Amino acid sequence: MSAASRWDAIVIGADVNGLVAAHLLARAGRRVLVVDSRKAPEQRVDVGWVPPQVLRDLGIRAPAFYLQADQRDPWITAPLPGGGKLELWRDLGQSTEAIRKLSPADAAKWPEFCTRMRRLAGVLEALYVQPAPDVETREIGELLRMAGLGLHVRRLGKQTVIDLLRILPMSIAELLDDWFENDTLKGVLGAAGVWHLRQGPRAGGTAFNFLHHHVGSPAGVFRPPRSNITQVLTAMPGVEVRWGGSAEAVVLATAGRVTGVRSGSEELVAPLVVSSADPQTTFAPLKPQLDAEFVRAVGNIKSRSIVARGTAQLERPADFKTLCLAPSLDHLERAHDDAKYGRTSARPYVEAVATDGRLDLHVQYAVTIDQTLIASVAAALGVAASQVSLEPQSGHHYHGELTLDQILFMRPVPGWSRYRTPIHGLYLCGPGTHPGGGIAGAAGRNAARVILKDN
Amino acid sequence: MPSTYDAIVIGGGHNGLVTAAYLARAGKKVLVLEKRPRVGGAAVTEEIFPGFKFTMFSYVVSLLRPEIIRDLDLPRHGLHILPLESTVTPMENGDYLAAWGDHDETRRELYRHSPRDAEAYDEYGKLMHHMAHAVRPILGMVPPDPTSFDPRDLMALLRLGKHFRGLGAERLHALVKLMTMSSADFLDEWFETDVLKATKSASGIIGTFLGPRSPGTAYVLLHHYMGELDGVFRAWGFAKGGTGAVSEAIASAARGFGAEIRCDATVARVLVKGGRATGVALENGDEIAAKVVVSGLDPRRTFLELVEERELPGEFISDIKRFKFRGSSGKVNLALDALPSFTCMPGVGRQHRGAFSISPSLEYVERAYDDAKYGEFSRRPYMDIVFPSMIDPGMAPPGKHVMSVFVQYAPYHLNGGWNDAKREAFGDAVVNTIESFAPGLKSHILHRQVITPADIERITGLTEGNIFQGELALHQLFFMRPAAGWAKFRTPVRAYYQCGAGTHPGGGIMGASGRLAALAILGDGA
Repeated sequence: MSAASRWDAIVIGADVNGLVAAHLLARAGRRVLVVDSRKAPEQRVDVGWVPPQVLRDLGIRAPAFYLQADQRDPWITAPLPGGGKLELWRDLGQSTEAIRKLSPADAAKWPEFCTRMRRLAGVLEALYVQPAPDVETREIGELLRMAGLGLHVRRLGKQTVIDLLRILPMSIAELLDDWFENDTLKGVLGAAGVWHLRQGPRAGGTAFNFLHHHVGSPAGVFRPPRSNITQVLTAMPGVEVRWGGSAEAVVLATAGRVTGVRSGSEELVAPLVVSSADPQTTFAPLKPQLDAEFVRAVGNIKSRSIVARGTAQLERPADFKTLCLAPSLDHLERAHDDAKYGRTSARPYVEAVATDGRLDLHVQYAVTIDQTLIASVAAALGVAASQVSLEPQSGHHYHGELTLDQILFMRPVPGWSRYRTPIHGLYLCGPGTHPGGGIAGAAGRNAARVILKDN
Repeated sequence: MPSTYDAIVIGGGHNGLVTAAYLARAGKKVLVLEKRPRVGGAAVTEEIFPGFKFTMFSYVVSLLRPEIIRDLDLPRHGLHILPLESTVTPMENGDYLAAWGDHDETRRELYRHSPRDAEAYDEYGKLMHHMAHAVRPILGMVPPDPTSFDPRDLMALLRLGKHFRGLGAERLHALVKLMTMSSADFLDEWFETDVLKATKSASGIIGTFLGPRSPGTAYVLLHHYMGELDGVFRAWGFAKGGTGAVSEAIASAARGFGAEIRCDATVARVLVKGGRATGVALENGDEIAAKVVVSGLDPRRTFLELVEERELPGEFISDIKRFKFRGSSGKVNLALDALPSFTCMPGVGRQHRGAFSISPSLEYVERAYDDAKYGEFSRRPYMDIVFPSMIDPGMAPPGKHVMSVFVQYAPYHLNGGWNDAKREAFGDAVVNTIESFAPGLKSHILHRQVITPADIERITGLTEGNIFQGELALHQLFFMRPAAGWAKFRTPVRAYYQCGAGTHPGGGIMGASGRLAALAILGDGA
């Protein structure tokens, strides 16, 4: 280890998890540098639950931090096939009334459905604010922690245990077909089940993905909370952030021990490196120092990019807060069928969030981004193609799909779910680790706690 | 009504017969009631056209538990398994992929397609062997109830946890992957040859309403791999006399232990008094009393048709109502005057003693699924073809042959419903597709029988024509089969038990459900 090292730790990536990890290490007295290849901080809204533990540990309070959850009502608007629209509200009763116009049977089940799903999301929340259970452990402490989790779940009642076992491996289509009959309603809910997955609503595990994206939201709201947590963290003093590293920083290591990072032409020395970058990117330059089995496991991470993001400019204010264009489960399934054979959806699923006179878009399934896709998005939204712009894709947003074989102790690769890596001194803290993308700061906090325990 | 029987088993399918045999072997007075003129349920052999015998619904045997063969001494009762030694997959470009009984030959064949895959094949085989071993104890285990605080359940869960942890990290991870992934994704991690992946993944879709890219199919792959264990039958086998001969052998064993088997006896309902089963009422009005009633029918019939709704808790009824069946497979049985020659491997030869798998590419199989997903039968279906008369000449008149075609997908819920025209259209799609790989087949066809899931349901009673009595989906396995809290072969009605493939561990001619049910019943001191 270099004695001249200015930094105790270098964090790669000034995104929410990188910054949470950096600030927690800094608060524990470490000298931390964050490097980021982007030119400057982006003014992007954070989508996903910010666990209260993250806010508490970093002393972040309103009004600096806000959750857009407080604002968006109705939380979703969906056009109806015969004209008109379905609006779902934060108020369960108001949503129930809206659903009643489509299907009295569905309306009758809505409150119970919302309560059951909320309870399951609560179980995930408890799992997400700590490292994934280590099923191979022989340590008594870890075994007790797992028993504690089991007891926590069991105390929620027999029905919750059954729901968990039954629903997590299910497809969202089967789950929704069990409960509801209206296509519009099932389309709105089913869309959350396929978010960032290269799978359709009939694929097993999409019910889990649905619950994953329900985490942090109140009962009856099936879109993740939105916040400005990254902006708050960026503005927070305590760590130095270097922007514009031209290319993604490269981890340097010798003989299986980390020595620092190379950012652009500069080599920065540190005994500890924490990467919030994609695991595949992080490990690529380190292959010669890793065993073949580990390299194969990293290569096998499924992270097939499938979402296009972008904006649409509006001429007049939108008459919705968030618009979901996924008229049925079959629509989603057919959109996925195209992707299954390597094509972009001819009729994609589009979700539009109205923000400052424009729409922020989530388009799925996008294999390549071209004029055809832009045209079909524009047609779905009823605007001109020139008003729509889509960003080029840069890897999977979650650094690995949230399929059942890639969560908990299997994330990012089996046996390495606890933020450590085979390279001594190198840790991961990005969405590629437990609990994955769409949860803002949980991986960063979990990683920081492991790092502080190790070092 | 004197209680003359210790146990009545409803349904003479192979599981019901296994239960009956085990109960009779323990000295119980047992009566089996079968609605059809012969036992076997979906495992029957029938002479459909004069001189031509077919295993009507099922076709191969590999999963029958070795302990059952041993305990019931089935070979003495006529069970004779003939090996099915090869699988040939014709490809669309005229080439083929073949797996032979001889390991080295298979390796050489694979090497021709991809040296890398030939290397990986042995590794893969080893892993699957270990995985099958890891899961095997579970097949012989009554699932513990994870929602119960009963110390016996907790201990069983702990033992289960210990068993899995005992596998070691690497195998445990592989098992988690097998339980959760799609067979295509799982195979992608091992192989590069598309036709190899397609053919292997096909065993992951059999009996399911899933495609090779649907998560959960890797487990079905493993489920079917179990048959390749134990060294009892290497690879898939074919019962001499068809699968009906398996049922007959079990029935003969049961009779040997003193069980009584009555055919043409349809049970109308189970008699329940004070929350306890007391016997059955037949369709003809007869009532037969028994201390214990066991249903080998699928969960929907067992609970929603045979007993009154008021005898069951509401939550349980809704669980059973949402249990998924969705039959997805059909069968085409052909009587031939000569064997067809396949373009990829012309002539008639040893390849006809094995199976032909119509799974030329992953995309082909996936597209077959896409059709079914939207309510149509596959225009170009996945098929598994065998020529039983080549292995067992008794199945057809001299010089003639029978051809058994297992077909997927034929969805039970077909758009507009099944009718005679649709059935024939489906049969045409099957024959035309095979014809494209084996020109001239059509000219050899003497008779054709097409069986849709609707026919399977009508003839055997299997709900929605599902050959596994319920899909082998993750949320319908182990302690969830058929419903959480009721996976131990007992039911909410006292003295009423379930023993069909709708209980753990499920489908295939396996008999494990029947055996476990019998052990549970005997354990309860029936």
